[in-house]
Amino acid sequence: MSALSLDIKKKFKSLIGKQDSFTSPVDEQIDRDSFPGDLPAVAKYKHTVLANPHEEQEVLEGIENIYYSHTDTSLYELEKLPEVLDLQDIDADRNRLRKQLNVVSKKVSDLVLQNHPAYARELQRVMELEKTLQLASVICANGRRNLSDARQIFTSASLKMLANVRKRQQLTGLLKSLRTIKTLQRTDLRLRELLEEEDYCGAIQLCLECQQAASTYRHFKCISELNSKLQDTLVMIEEQLDVALSKTCSNFDVVHYEKVQKAYRLLNKTQTAMDQLHMHFTSAIHNTAFTIVLGYVELCSGTTNSNFHKRQYTDLCKNVTQDSFTPCLIDLCKALWEVMKSYFKTMQWHEQNDINVQDKDETEEGTEEIAFNKKYIKQKLDHGLTRIWMDVQQKVKLFVLGTDLSHFKLEEFIRVLDIIHRMIEIGEEFCGSKSDGLQDSLKQQSLNYFKNHHRYRMDELRMFLENEGWELCPVKTNFTYSRLLEFKFMKHWNKSPELSPRGDSSLTTDNKVVYFKDFTDGATPFDVHPEDDENEDVFSYSFDSEGNDSDSDSDIPDELKQDYIDEITGEARSHRQYKRRISHNRSRKNVPIVTNTTINLLRVIGKYMKMITVLKPIAFDVIYCISQLFDYYLYTVYSFFGSHDSVRNERAINQRLHLTLQRIHSNVIAEKATPGAPPVDSEENQDRVPQPHLSPVVDLTAADKLFGLSERVVAAESLVFLANQFEQLQPHFETMIPSNKKAFLQQFYSQTISIASELRKPVYWAVSVHAIDYNGVINLMANVRWDIKDIMSQHNAYVDDILKKFENLNRKLSDISRRLPIPRVVYTSVWEHCVRLTNRILVEGYSNAKKCSNEGRAFMQLDFQQLLSNLEKMIDLRPIPEKEFVEGYIKAYYLPESQFDSWLLDHKITRFVLHSPLYSVEGYIKTYYLPESQFDSWLLDHKEYSPKQLIALINSVDHLNKKARQRLITVIEDMERTRR
Amino acid sequence: MSESYDFLFKFLVIGSAGTGKSCILHQFIENKFKQDSNHTIGVEFGSKVVNVGGKSVKLQIWDTAGQERFRSVTRSYYRGAAGALLVYDITSRETYNALTNWLTDARTLASPNIVIILVGNKKDLEAEREVTFLEASRFAQENELMFLETSALTGENIEETFLKCARNILTKIESGELDPERMGSGIQYGDSSLRRLQQREQQRQKKGICDC
Repeated sequence: MSALSLDIKKKFKSLIGKQDSFTSPVDEQIDRDSFPGDLPAVAKYKHTVLANPHEEQEVLEGIENIYYSHTDTSLYELEKLPEVLDLQDIDADRNRLRKQLNVVSKKVSDLVLQNHPAYARELQRVMELEKTLQLASVICANGRRNLSDARQIFTSASLKMLANVRKRQQLTGLLKSLRTIKTLQRTDLRLRELLEEEDYCGAIQLCLECQQAASTYRHFKCISELNSKLQDTLVMIEEQLDVALSKTCSNFDVVHYEKVQKAYRLLNKTQTAMDQLHMHFTSAIHNTAFTIVLGYVELCSGTTNSNFHKRQYTDLCKNVTQDSFTPCLIDLCKALWEVMKSYFKTMQWHEQNDINVQDKDETEEGTEEIAFNKKYIKQKLDHGLTRIWMDVQQKVKLFVLGTDLSHFKLEEFIRVLDIIHRMIEIGEEFCGSKSDGLQDSLKQQSLNYFKNHHRYRMDELRMFLENEGWELCPVKTNFTYSRLLEFKFMKHWNKSPELSPRGDSSLTTDNKVVYFKDFTDGATPFDVHPEDDENEDVFSYSFDSEGNDSDSDSDIPDELKQDYIDEITGEARSHRQYKRRISHNRSRKNVPIVTNTTINLLRVIGKYMKMITVLKPIAFDVIYCISQLFDYYLYTVYSFFGSHDSVRNERAINQRLHLTLQRIHSNVIAEKATPGAPPVDSEENQDRVPQPHLSPVVDLTAADKLFGLSERVVAAESLVFLANQFEQLQPHFETMIPSNKKAFLQQFYSQTISIASELRKPVYWAVSVHAIDYNGVINLMANVRWDIKDIMSQHNAYVDDILKKFENLNRKLSDISRRLPIPRVVYTSVWEHCVRLTNRILVEGYSNAKKCSNEGRAFMQLDFQQLLSNLEKMIDLRPIPEKEFVEGYIKAYYLPESQFDSWLLDHKITRFVLHSPLYSVEGYIKTYYLPESQFDSWLLDHKEYSPKQLIALINSVDHLNKKARQRLITVIEDMERTRR
Repeated sequence: MSESYDFLFKFLVIGSAGTGKSCILHQFIENKFKQDSNHTIGVEFGSKVVNVGGKSVKLQIWDTAGQERFRSVTRSYYRGAAGALLVYDITSRETYNALTNWLTDARTLASPNIVIILVGNKKDLEAEREVTFLEASRFAQENELMFLETSALTGENIEETFLKCARNILTKIESGELDPERMGSGIQYGDSSLRRLQQREQQRQKKGICDC
């Protein structure tokens, strides 16, 4: 504290010291300006100041320090006062203080005076400084003004510059855009190029890029136009793509299709593409079919003016000529096959490629969508299969049904069938369709064709029969239908008919061609030439009997052949040659007896059976027609040889045969068109054939040829041979015929085939009737007297007559048998008939006897025994048929009336069952011996005797009384009445 | 039968074995040569409608077996034939030598007015020829036959042969030399000519009525 106060004291002192040395120039000025009010105060102080400097110094030094500190001096002074105030002290203090104050004031005044010039000087400098500051402010203001001016001028220029730069930049950008736009404009050209190159993918990609680019330049007005143009181009590309897609329909090309598909995928339109594709296939099918048919129709019509292209397809098909049908069908099938193949390949492509696509894109997010797309495409394609096949089928069906094929040659028709069949197979492979439409048309056309074909064949058969000389056609001993070339096709299934033809078809399915795999190249399944066709082979050879022919030739020794040739020159020699031939024939005892017609008929059957293999749907109709062929042959043989009015004898034809003949007559034989009568319903008559007329070459009246016996033998035996062949064919028919029609076949076999041999009876009967002059025998017998009284030992002359006639017949028979091998059954039949007829004549002759004695009855028996024993020597027929008929009649004479009933009942069953119709000479003769009591029942049972014979018997019986006779005659008359 | 024709002629094809009778017929009907043909058994048949001088004629052709052993079978077909092709093989003198026999057969068994054309077949085998054209045509002239050489292989003259024969028959009918209505003439009126005949008859009857 003291230090500080000391410091201030020093400063104060130094300050006073300085004031003395100088006066400031500005002292007065400060006096006047700054302290005008203070001046008097200062002046007042000056009056009290002591004049002595040392005293003053002392005073100054006596100033307590406290006054230099900043304390309340007044308070200090007060506190210093003693408790007891002493005025003196106080006054002293006050003087001292006053003095001090004067000194200090004087000192201060001195200092002020002393420092005044400095003050003035300093004031002057401040003034100066103020002046300078004012100047500086002006300069600053000026500077600022200038600066702002300068700044203003400088900014606008640079801005302009900047703007320019920017403009330039923008323009550069625009130029670039314009260049791009120019390129864009040019791409249109490039796009067209690409399209021409069929690079759809590139085109689309380019187009899309362009579009994208264009969208960035959307703000340009020209771009919007370009954009729309691009859009148009894109649409155009799509159209082109569509066209390209449609091309795949007719000719699938993997590269091409891949391009198209890729393009569609780019467009993200794979589904649409699929829909389009199906549409294209549909139209492709229609267009191809139409174009092909139109082409053929125009080609054939020759005239271009008829507007065929405006016609409906169905209509058009009706205008196809028969000549152009097959090539047109082939072309149609080929074209449709191409379409189907394209579709198939499309599917294949999708199967393969869609997998690839999935593999590739698996990582991408769109997998789900792709999978969906894939599924869609697959479904669509699968569904399309059936639809496309339906379309194809429809086209082919309409075409096939448009033309009447009934006049086609068989080979050609088979070819047509084969083509359609192949189409069906393709269809089955294509989509597993049963192709009902095509099958239907196939059936319809087949039936139509076959009916027509059959009509011709039946007519031809009639012609053959009308020209048939019923000569034996020499064939090999072991000749059967299978030897004929027409049956060659069955060779491999001859042994086991079960295997065929159905087994056959199953066989073929095993190594069946897989059309869509086997015909991948340009080849089509319809390229096969008819020459290569398996079907064709069989029908094109016509002649055959393969080894058979030459074999049978070698059977004949050369010299014999020479004889044959000689035969033409002179008829005189023929007899000798016939003999040679017999020996030859004998060596071939069991030579089949066939006629030229038989062989031809078998050939026709062979062809029909071959047809069944291709015409399965109409198998039944064909078999029915085969049965008609046989029916007609059978009926003809009957009408030629078995139905002569003069010998018509219901007994010769049994009931079953009669029914069969009636059935054939009403089913097969056309009514004779009677002139003047209304024409028979042609519809109904169309399927029937008029009854044939026997060739005028055949003479059935010549007695020396036994009334055409050889022709009869050939006819009847060829029929039996034919029936035999039918029996061998039966298993084949069984497999061919639909199971629901088997009943027909059974009926045919049981009612017709098995009856065939029955026809021998009426055929040979006629010979037996004419060969022997039965009336001559009757006349001879009329001369015999039976009422003799002696037992005779020599038989009657009529017996010799009969035997002579039989010998004559025997000779003629052996004559004929030299030329023709006569089967034993024929001998039997002829002899049986002759013997039966003779027996009948004998009974008739015996009944003519007005009177008869016991001896006469014995005479009859003698004669009959004589005849029998000689007959047995002459012919090897055992037992002699209907022996009992005569014996019974003779012996009836001896029967007692009482035994009649039982005797008759015994014989009734056996006789009528086994030998119906019965004519027993023996029985008749023996009846003579019957007692009256037995006559009644005898009469009732022996209906084989005529009433006339019975009455004659009754009348000739001696041991009956008149009354009994009368009664028996009434019984006979009653019988006669009930019989009617 | 939708076929309609004016006339039906019955034709025969005869000649020794192996002369190509069946091939001729096959060529005529099918327009094809028949390979691997065997000997004919008995008689074969074929028919074709041809146009002769503006008339349609149905030819009913019987192709007979040439082999001797079938003679008895074939002769029954001779009857009532209007025309016959007598075939020999120009490469086989033997078949030519047999012609006389065949001719006698045809003339005696068939209708006496039968029109016969001599056919020298296998014309294509010129190198193996044994019978000259001149020789055969002289034979034809002597026997009042028409004559042509044919080839069933190439089809040369095949149709011509049948047409020539049919034309000859038609001319004879028109000149009245042949009467189709006579039994065994081998000629029948077809549906169309029958209709025409009936019309004529009806007109005649009408006229008759008018006359009364």
